[in-house]
Amino acid sequence: MPMIEIDKLTKRYGEFVALAEFSLEVGKGEFVSLLGPSGSGKTTLLNLIAGMTRPSSGRIVIDGVDVTDLPASKRDLGMVFQNYALMPHMTVFENIAFPLRVRRVPNAEIKRRVGEVLDLIRMPHVAERRPRELSGGQQQRISLARCIVYRPSLILMDEPLGALDKKLREEMQIEISRLHRESGITMLYVTHDQEEALTMSDRIVLMREGRCAQVGTADELYFNPVSPYVADFIGHSNQLTCTILREEGGNVVVGLAGGDRRAVPRPAFPVPVGGKAILLVRPESASLAARADDHHSLRGTLEASLVVGSNIKHVVRLDSGETFLVQELNHRLRARPAIGSAVWVGWSAEASQLLSAS
Amino acid sequence: MNHALDTRHAALLLAPLTLLMLLFFLMPALSIVWTSVHGGQLDLAAYRELLTSALFRRVLATTFEISIEATALTLVIGYAIAMHLARLTPSARAVMMIFVMLPFWTSILVKSFAFTIVLGDAGLVNRAISWLFGTETPIPMLFNRVGVVLGMLNFLLPFMVLPVLGNLLAQDRTLQRAAETMGAGPVRIFLRITLPLSLPGVLSGVLMCLSLSVGSYITPALLGGRTDMMMANLVDFYTRQTLDWPAASAIAMVLLLITALIVVLLTRVRGGNVEVL
Ligand SMILES: Nc1ncnc2c1ncn2[C@@H]1O[C@H](COP(=O)(O)OP(=O)(O)OP(=O)(O)O)[C@@H](O)[C@H]1O
Ligand SMILES: [Mg+2]
Repeated sequence: MPMIEIDKLTKRYGEFVALAEFSLEVGKGEFVSLLGPSGSGKTTLLNLIAGMTRPSSGRIVIDGVDVTDLPASKRDLGMVFQNYALMPHMTVFENIAFPLRVRRVPNAEIKRRVGEVLDLIRMPHVAERRPRELSGGQQQRISLARCIVYRPSLILMDEPLGALDKKLREEMQIEISRLHRESGITMLYVTHDQEEALTMSDRIVLMREGRCAQVGTADELYFNPVSPYVADFIGHSNQLTCTILREEGGNVVVGLAGGDRRAVPRPAFPVPVGGKAILLVRPESASLAARADDHHSLRGTLEASLVVGSNIKHVVRLDSGETFLVQELNHRLRARPAIGSAVWVGWSAEASQLLSAS
Repeated sequence: MNHALDTRHAALLLAPLTLLMLLFFLMPALSIVWTSVHGGQLDLAAYRELLTSALFRRVLATTFEISIEATALTLVIGYAIAMHLARLTPSARAVMMIFVMLPFWTSILVKSFAFTIVLGDAGLVNRAISWLFGTETPIPMLFNRVGVVLGMLNFLLPFMVLPVLGNLLAQDRTLQRAAETMGAGPVRIFLRITLPLSLPGVLSGVLMCLSLSVGSYITPALLGGRTDMMMANLVDFYTRQTLDWPAASAIAMVLLLITALIVVLLTRVRGGNVEVL
């Protein structure tokens, strides 16, 4: 049985649709990230699951129980907020003990369990402090502990690391991943930092304007995006408009803007001859040459070469006017074409992918 | 920033008010002190008499009783109103605030006379009660403690609602939402989160109401009975009935001291020097 089943969930604010017929299943113990630009409905979805807002239509089932009409306090899940939401008038101990007191756990057990989670987050000495005496990262750890202590079957997090600086954020990512592994609690994690989503999650839900653009593992989203939007959102991508010319074995031959022809694996969707499509090439699957050859047949002008440590990024203006990004490993002895000179880019057919233009 | 210039500016701007206060508050206050010690004789007899006067002690006790009763009632009702207002949308709140502020803008004399109409034996409330329950004898609500406390409640409400509302609006809503997801019901959320966090607002409202009610004069005079005499009424009694001005002045000084004490406490709460959490 899945941990969460969301069935055609819709949330309207007046005319505006914040979430549109959204469906999703999350397995027990899974770590799923909700990724998407600002306003795509991530917080809306999380608040609906938590019971902070009522859906306009649709159903939410948590652990086999239909909770659609249950108040937040009866859903038995945990939530971590971006601003920590620790009670300023309580000590760290009382903050973590709060959910246990709600559940009428005996005092001796409260003491033991709070001690345990403080050990788990490696902050055993702060029990008697007030939240304001802790740093942002420490406060967020306490707020995680406050969730874990009552062992909810599901923890929701809304950009929990959004208020922290980069270094602390990376530390906390590792910390949260560890807590997830050790506790086995299902986690639903909102972020708009794609790197965070890619490194932490079992699966990623990419959202767009209240809908699900694609659900899948980091690899699936990166190597098999279902739409130009997904390809564009995850990592860098070159997207070239092309026309379907013919089918050839397992491949489709397409014509690019400059008249160049390219083979590409046949996609899952139908490709009528003469139709338009998008050819996707990841920068690291492409290569650059100073002269045309069988492989490098698409001509352009080198606009810039940016060295980023072990990588070098070439920005090429194709003759068709489109920009093309090539990322190669940076070798000490490699000769680089001069900026402004003519270059040819190429890629192997298997590394490219056809996307539906619509 | 030129600090000296700032100070001089401030002095200049404050001068008119300072002058006004000197002339119309400090001078009369000093003359009352002067009178209370029998002028140049520096005689503390008036104060000594107060200590032994049964009347004064009774009135002092009544003053505190009424003030505390009125403040307590104002706290309960004012808190409920503030909580309701805090939940409204800003535009609805603005409209409702007018009703809260209405007693604030009405003369206390007018309000007191209005209360005699509302609370009298043939007043609105009594007629409603006899109509609802078919009772014959009216409930006495005028010229007794009930009348005084209700009158003061009406006068004090804005002074309680404003600080409490200000505090409630400033509270972080995610705290309540967090508590809710942790399974807490509305009662627990109120008792463990909303209420303790609002204590600074409550304290400042309570002190404000106490300091205002201790000096009440018109409300007990018009709505109270003979046993509801408060300090200010006693001052009036000594000045006009017995013409014992030193006694009246001494009482006024005690009243001033009590109020000053409360105001000092209030400024400490406002300044955040009091650790209430
Ligand atoms: N109470 C509300 N009334 C009207 N519109 C709302 C309300 N809450 C959210 N919205 C709208 O719903 C849309 C989705 O909002 P949501 O907060 O879910 O976005 P998000 O994906 O969490 O964005 P962010 O990354 O900025 O947090 C937004 O366009 C927002 O303006
Ligand atoms: Mg959000």
